[in-house]
Amino acid sequence: MSGLRVLVGCKRVIDYAVKIRVRPDGLGVVTDGVKHSMNPFDENAIEEAVRLKQKKVVKEIVVASCGPAQSQETIRTALAMGADRGIHVELPAGTEADLQPLAVAKIFAKLVEKEKPDMVILGKQAIDDDANQTTQLLAGMLDWPQGTMASVVDVGDGNVTITREIDGGLEDISVSLPAVVSADLRLNEPRYATLPNIMKAKKKKIAKMNPGDLGVDIAPRLKVLNVVDPPVREAGEKVPDVSTLMDKLKEKGHL
Amino acid sequence: MLGRLARPLVQRCATSITRDAVAARHISTTMLPEDVELLRKMCWDFAENELKPIAGQIDKEHKYPLEQVHMMGELGLMGMVAPEELGGAGMSYLAYAVAMEEISRGCATAGVILSVNNSLYLGPLLANGNQEQLEKWVSPFLDGQHVGCFCLSEPGNGSDAGAASTTAKHTGDGHYELNGAKAWITNGYESEAAVVFATTDKSLKHKGISAFVVPKPHEGISLGKKEDKLGIKGSSTCVVNFDNCMIDEANLLGKAGDGFKIAMRTLDAGRIGVAGQALGIAQASLECAVAYSQQRKAFGKPISTMQTIQSKLADMECKIWGARLINWHAANLKDNGHPFSKEAAMAKLVASEAATYCAHQAIQVLGGMGYVSDMPAERHYRDARITEIYEGTSEIQRLVIAGNLLKEMVQ
Repeated sequence: MSGLRVLVGCKRVIDYAVKIRVRPDGLGVVTDGVKHSMNPFDENAIEEAVRLKQKKVVKEIVVASCGPAQSQETIRTALAMGADRGIHVELPAGTEADLQPLAVAKIFAKLVEKEKPDMVILGKQAIDDDANQTTQLLAGMLDWPQGTMASVVDVGDGNVTITREIDGGLEDISVSLPAVVSADLRLNEPRYATLPNIMKAKKKKIAKMNPGDLGVDIAPRLKVLNVVDPPVREAGEKVPDVSTLMDKLKEKGHL
Repeated sequence: MLGRLARPLVQRCATSITRDAVAARHISTTMLPEDVELLRKMCWDFAENELKPIAGQIDKEHKYPLEQVHMMGELGLMGMVAPEELGGAGMSYLAYAVAMEEISRGCATAGVILSVNNSLYLGPLLANGNQEQLEKWVSPFLDGQHVGCFCLSEPGNGSDAGAASTTAKHTGDGHYELNGAKAWITNGYESEAAVVFATTDKSLKHKGISAFVVPKPHEGISLGKKEDKLGIKGSSTCVVNFDNCMIDEANLLGKAGDGFKIAMRTLDAGRIGVAGQALGIAQASLECAVAYSQQRKAFGKPISTMQTIQSKLADMECKIWGARLINWHAANLKDNGHPFSKEAAMAKLVASEAATYCAHQAIQVLGGMGYVSDMPAERHYRDARITEIYEGTSEIQRLVIAGNLLKEMVQ
């Protein structure tokens, strides 16, 4: 059991704390000059892989990212957290918003063919599109079992027990390896990259390729028609007591 | 250990007004090498999550941030300038300047502890120590568990470092006996070793000064009371007294009589660190002012829309970026083996004056709120002030700059 290879995916997204601005053409959001970071759920994914490596359950962590030239920084961050080597599937600048989960899943399916990992760990969703699709699509393409929204991952002999956070509570499932797992926020608390690891990361290899090299057609299947700000939140109304509250709710047709 | 170094869940999800307003601060990655940018992001995260939340409390309680110093040690920050062979991170001075700024932006006290250990304690040892000294006095002082200090100033002389009157008498039996007092020593209480400058022959003036590394606590060393300072209150500052303090002659650092040169070279590099600290305080002040001005309304509009406020914010931003770029330039010169005294002095001078300016104007932007401890502006104002004084007063920096400038320009 010692010596699994794990493929982890990470995505460069606009930093979660940034105030998002809609582009003047209404077809997307402003990304130029805006602070980007690794998708928070992907940090959980990398952290879990690194913890498994420290427990000697995993022997090698390969981190892959699909994105523009700057995605290399995201991969380097993952290497500084403890991944062993990186794969950068590079997209032409400015086209990253067109890359949709179906294309990402196809790319990862090809990477799985090449790298032959025992497990793929992804973040459960990216905070820019909130799609939550890549894990499931990938599992389907590979015909592998999937454990999504994982808040606990326990690797056994040839299988993984996962606790999933679902609407009804927590669900424990067991899947056989190889499998695709998606990380949720409470899976772990990602580490800071220490300085020695930042220095070590400089020497780790990042292989570069483009989707064409993998034979994947990444043309979008969905077309964005319009992007608008959510409506401005209006002030609420204070009521003196519960019976007035009930009357108001009935009045507005909410009861 | 893992848990302590992990980023708290609540902070990762929190979206306070201040973060929203300023989280998009963007430094072009074409200006910093990839590893330095990675380091900058890590330090920024660390400062946001671990330092900012406690900075007010350690200021109020005059509390040494022990836990945070240990965390910085585990991350490799406390020994970041030391080479890998000795257990350090072997990072460039550019990386150090950037780390100092981001850490100090979270907490200026953490910044001064970081800079004293790296530049003032490790600096002279790395430049002048023999193998035995490096193993004994450098390697154990890299992980935050032990910190050092730097004893140059005395009650009778600060700027006039050459007039040091602490004496070191070479005894016949392989010891030096130290007598005298050193003043304004940062990390005075927590340090377990000190680089001390003492004269073996006052008649030789500054050429009689030698550098020594002295363990603490030690027979013959006593500490004065902790100074009650205006700012960086979490850092201990005190007089260190030497009364017939006997140290092994193996503790002589570098050659006898080289002490003044060692001190000056150490301070050159230290200035880059202090400039970083000043920049962190300045940046924190600017962010405080910007966030407040977006929220505060007067005459029906946020005050950030008003010209007098915008004028201040613009001036703050200009002074910060001007100082930052000189500091990066000084660090790059040092990293590439070029002379950098003038540039380091310029960086320290410009950055410290930027810090006091920005902190002053931040209080002004906040108005009454700037005067109370509910907002960090008043703490930045108090923290900033020392950066124009220590590691060479602004007046001394001007002399260093002019001296170098005249040498360059006048044939």
